[in-house]
Amino acid sequence: MNGLEHERAIDLLSRADVEGIPQADARWLESHLAACSDCSAYEMALHGAERAIRSVTVMASVSLVESTRARVHARAQQLREQESRMVLIGVSFCLGVLTSTLTAWIWWKSGAWIAQRLGLPSGIVEPGVLLFWLLPAIVIALVMVTVPPATFEGSLMQRFMRDRMRGMQ
Amino acid sequence: MVAAAFSSLITMETEEAQIATGLRRRDPEVLDALIEQYQHRLLRYLAHMTGNMATAEDLFQETWIRVLEKGHQYDAKSRFATWLMTIAHNVAIDHLRKRTPASLDEMRDSEDAAPFEPVAVGPSPFEQVAAIEDKVRIQAALDQLPPIFREVLVLRFQEQMKLEEIAKLINIPLATVKTRIYRGVVALRPALMGGAQ
Repeated sequence: MNGLEHERAIDLLSRADVEGIPQADARWLESHLAACSDCSAYEMALHGAERAIRSVTVMASVSLVESTRARVHARAQQLREQESRMVLIGVSFCLGVLTSTLTAWIWWKSGAWIAQRLGLPSGIVEPGVLLFWLLPAIVIALVMVTVPPATFEGSLMQRFMRDRMRGMQ
Repeated sequence: MVAAAFSSLITMETEEAQIATGLRRRDPEVLDALIEQYQHRLLRYLAHMTGNMATAEDLFQETWIRVLEKGHQYDAKSRFATWLMTIAHNVAIDHLRKRTPASLDEMRDSEDAAPFEPVAVGPSPFEQVAAIEDKVRIQAALDQLPPIFREVLVLRFQEQMKLEEIAKLINIPLATVKTRIYRGVVALRPALMGGAQ
C-alpha cells in the first residue's frame, strides 16, 4: 500500500456521508479499510466525531428570537424611512433643477432690465441673478440636509412617498 | 403560523427565489419565517465559532440585521442556508478580529468562554448522567480545538454541508477543507477514545 492509496481512502471517507461515492469506489474503500488499520482507525474517529458533534445541542431561546425579530423590524423600518427620505431629497433636487432651468431665461432678462433701469454695473447684477437662480435648489438642499428626518415624519409628502413606495412593491 | 403563511406564498417559484424576492423587499413576514426556520442552526454555528453562548446570541442578532441590510445581494443561485452561514461566518470573523487583532488561524478560545448547555437525553437517570458527562467532555474537547477546525467540523457534521459549499462559505480551497476536517478529527480522537475507555 502506498501513500496515494491512503490519501484516496481518506478523501473517499470524507465524501462518503454527505456527497456519496460511486459503488466501485465504495467497494475499493471497503477492501482498503479491511487491510489498513490506520485508515480504519481514522474511519472510526470520523464517525465518532460526527456522532459527538451531533450530540451537542444548542437551542435558541424564545426571548432571543423575539428580541431579534424586534431588532430586525426596527432596523427595517429605519431603512425604509432612510430610503423614502432619499427619494424625497432626489425628487426635491430634480424639481429644483427643473424650475431653475425653466426660469433661468426670465431671471436673466429681469436682471438685465433691472440693471438697465437702475443703471447698476453688470459686476453686481450678474452674480445677483446667478444667486437668485440657484436659490431654490440651495434652500431645498440646506433644508433636507440640516433638518432631522423626524421633522418630515407624517408630512403629506412623506406619506405620499411612502404610499407610493408600498405601491411599487 | 408565520411559517405556514410563508409556505403558502410559494407557488411557481422556488423557495430560494421567493426568499430572494422577500429579502429585496425587506418583507417582515419573510424575515420572521427565516428567523424561525434557521434559529437553532444559526445559533449552534455561532456558538461553536465563538465558544461563548452570550457572544453567540449577540452575533445571532447581528447576523439577522446584516441579512436584512444585505438581503438584496442574495441572488438565489446558492442555497439560502449557505448564504446565511456565509454572513454568520463574516460576522463572527469581524467579532473575533476585534477581540484579537490576529488572523483566525492563530486564534484560540478565551479562558472565560462558557460551555454550551447540552440537552441530556436518556432513558434512565444513570444513562442521563453518563450522557451529560459525555457531552460535557465532547464539548470541552471541541472547545479545545482551534476555531478553524471546529468550524469545518460543525459545518460538515451538524449542518451536513458539502465540501464545496464549505470551501465557498469560508473562502478557502477545497483541499484545505479536507485537511482541516482530517486534522480536526485527528485532534478530537483522544477525547473520543477517552470516553470509550
